[in-house]
Amino acid sequence: MAKVTDLVLLNKPNEKILLLGNHAIARGALEAGIAVFAAYPGTPSSELTDTIAAIAKDAGVYMEYSTNEKVAFETALSASWSGLRSMTAMKHVGLNVAADSFMSAVGMGVEGGFVIMVADDPSMWSSQNEQDTRVFAKFANVPVLEPMSVQEAKDMTKYAFEISEKYKHMVILRTTTRSSHMRGDVTLGELPEEIINKKRRLGSFEKNPKRFVDIPAHSRNFHPKILENIEKIRTEFNNSPFNWIEGEGKIGIITSGLSYAYVKEALSWLNVENVKILKLGTPFPVPLGLVEKFMKGLEKVLIVEELEPVVEEQIKFWAYDKQLNIPIYGKNIVPRIFEMDTKRAVIAISKFLNLETPLNFEKLEESYNNINSSLPPRPPSLCPACPHRNTFFAINKATKKNAILPSDIGCYTLGVLPPLNAVDTTVAMGGSIGIAHGLSIALNGALNEEIENKKDTQLIVATIGDSTFYHTGLPAIANAIYNRSNVIIVVVDNEITAMTGDQPNPGTGDTPHGSGKRIPIENIVEAMGADFVEVVNPYNIKKTTEVVKKAMEIDGVRVIISRQVCALHRVGQMKRKGIKLPVFTVNTDKCTGCRICINTFGCPAISWDNETKKAKIVPTMCWGCGSCIQVCPYGAFEVAKEAE
Amino acid sequence: MVKEYNIVITGVGGQGILTAANLLGWTALREGYKVRVGEVHGMSQRFGSVISYVRFGENVYGAMVPEGKADVILSFEPVEALRYINYLKKGGLVFTNSRPIWPVQVSMGLAKYPSHEEIKRIVEEDFEAKYISFDAENLAKEAGNVISTNVVLIGALTQTPDFPLSPETIREVIKVSVSPKVIELNLKAFELGLKKANSLL
Repeated sequence: MAKVTDLVLLNKPNEKILLLGNHAIARGALEAGIAVFAAYPGTPSSELTDTIAAIAKDAGVYMEYSTNEKVAFETALSASWSGLRSMTAMKHVGLNVAADSFMSAVGMGVEGGFVIMVADDPSMWSSQNEQDTRVFAKFANVPVLEPMSVQEAKDMTKYAFEISEKYKHMVILRTTTRSSHMRGDVTLGELPEEIINKKRRLGSFEKNPKRFVDIPAHSRNFHPKILENIEKIRTEFNNSPFNWIEGEGKIGIITSGLSYAYVKEALSWLNVENVKILKLGTPFPVPLGLVEKFMKGLEKVLIVEELEPVVEEQIKFWAYDKQLNIPIYGKNIVPRIFEMDTKRAVIAISKFLNLETPLNFEKLEESYNNINSSLPPRPPSLCPACPHRNTFFAINKATKKNAILPSDIGCYTLGVLPPLNAVDTTVAMGGSIGIAHGLSIALNGALNEEIENKKDTQLIVATIGDSTFYHTGLPAIANAIYNRSNVIIVVVDNEITAMTGDQPNPGTGDTPHGSGKRIPIENIVEAMGADFVEVVNPYNIKKTTEVVKKAMEIDGVRVIISRQVCALHRVGQMKRKGIKLPVFTVNTDKCTGCRICINTFGCPAISWDNETKKAKIVPTMCWGCGSCIQVCPYGAFEVAKEAE
Repeated sequence: MVKEYNIVITGVGGQGILTAANLLGWTALREGYKVRVGEVHGMSQRFGSVISYVRFGENVYGAMVPEGKADVILSFEPVEALRYINYLKKGGLVFTNSRPIWPVQVSMGLAKYPSHEEIKRIVEEDFEAKYISFDAENLAKEAGNVISTNVVLIGALTQTPDFPLSPETIREVIKVSVSPKVIELNLKAFELGLKKANSLL
């Protein structure tokens, strides 16, 4: 259980270690001799990005936290065009951001192997939708690999670079929350000399406008080439080490990625033998030669895959043309929504083979639901001392809850929950400003419009994080200022990309290779011509409330930068340095039991004492910001003692 | 060598659950098992309910313990043991830290926190399992720091009947996993948990 960076760089081929899926992919990229890596963090892909950042200098790899996925994609793509093996990583919705360049660049091909790691989130553990990247890959005609174990995640990464380079075609490595965040035993391979010697490699770019300039005259040559390439890769995949047939019998199960794991466990739980399995690691393009071999002599087939019927559609398409007349089951019995698991595989296989399930899952679910519905919910919440809570509290106070509150993607999205209830809309990264502007146009009109019988102006206050602001907030705010919007935009600047694990961004100015250039948000919006710009520290709730009120007095695009470093980040650093935090307590003589602190502020460290009927502070959860002192009208909170 | 052993670890984000799972995973690897550890990161971690899985043996492929198949639930918080009780096999065992952490909704008076007796009754009667709770946090303090609560609980876990991993291997993994200045503290926490569970079983 050594440090992750030591494990990923461990120069001991054949050593067996325990790695997280994302760490194994980082190792695979190193074994493949990657030279350039660029990404914007996004759960569940971030540990790959952060691992490469942490080892970049020690492995001679250039790594950057790009401002968004599209920029990251372009950075890594052009490194590949310069002959270097390169990689980008993103969460599934990140591919939507990169999509413009991604879709257009497929036909231009690659030079150095180019791998796009995309992490999907079935069941939406930390995402806004459940899209299946394999569908996107098929749409773009980009081959996609999908691991079933941590070992495969590592080995497939290296293989992806080889395939990409061999066919000069970009390749997607698709994981899911489960495969990215599972740990498993991994046998290490060899690291190339360049990585061991920390040798940073530089590429060379050869001009070729017919290939690298996608004017229509050139692009018309791309599409036929893409389709031709995909068929070659399909044939190659017949012999991929990640696709195989196992077992014998007249009953067949085809399964892709991690679903293979669940099928294996389900068959063992059901005590079913004599099943032939086609295990696929390449859901697109499906290797039809292998499928044909597999199908020989089968009487019926079940296709088990998570989310969309990507393999199923390709196989049914093929079976129809082949006039194969056997039943092929798929999404009619395997769920199309949410995460796959062993229970779901057991239920599907039981239906497929007319078997009883080994447990009465319905009865289990019924008795469980009875209990679960009586339990107090515990959704994730903003941390103790989180500055976002103070900003929302101040907004609520200043606007008297009369504002519409569009927000964005980040920890602060949690402001939607009680007691703050300070988020009315979220869509996607950077969406807060566009939505706020659209609402302003729809409800108030633009400031340069002449509207008769105008009603009172609807107050609109958007919140957006610092990293999100640089990611996609920039074009949106330019649009709002240009088109004379009438909105307040509060940038909740906690000086780090917090939710994905404390990555740097242009607001911090740090990079994995030393100091970059810091770009203060106030300078940007000043330069753009915002009608009001003020920076405030949300740990001063009174001042923050006043600044919001001041902004409410004028029209135009008013930007408030509410700046205070992320509490989790700050406390982590303090603990590492051995600095003690103050801890607060409730003076029960002063506490009236009004619950204002609990019902309007909602710090997780403030709890209710049923015996005294007063507020109490859980000392192990208090991170010492002292905001409660500003919230309590009776002065009941005070410093307790120095923490342990 | 067991064919399949399943541990479910539950609690509240920030309690050290992932560290505990990782420690058990390395122990199983050291004992020569095929290992799978499943965890949830990101937004779901921020003081929300957290579940993590540790599995080892010949027959494990996926990272999640199937419902009804956990040999033991190790919980850092009482209500979180109940939230994932559907994973426990019949006759399984629940080890839990007895200190509740109230969700904000409970403090606001919008939801009720079940009593200790009620939690115990549901586990024992409705799920035909054994329920053992003790103040692991207090033992961690006794060991020197409340942060070692997770190691106290791992110590307790080793006393599960037929638990396949040896306490000695866990001690070895602790020694190479934590920073040198807190090795003693963690080993003490481990012993305190082990002894406490032994006295309760």
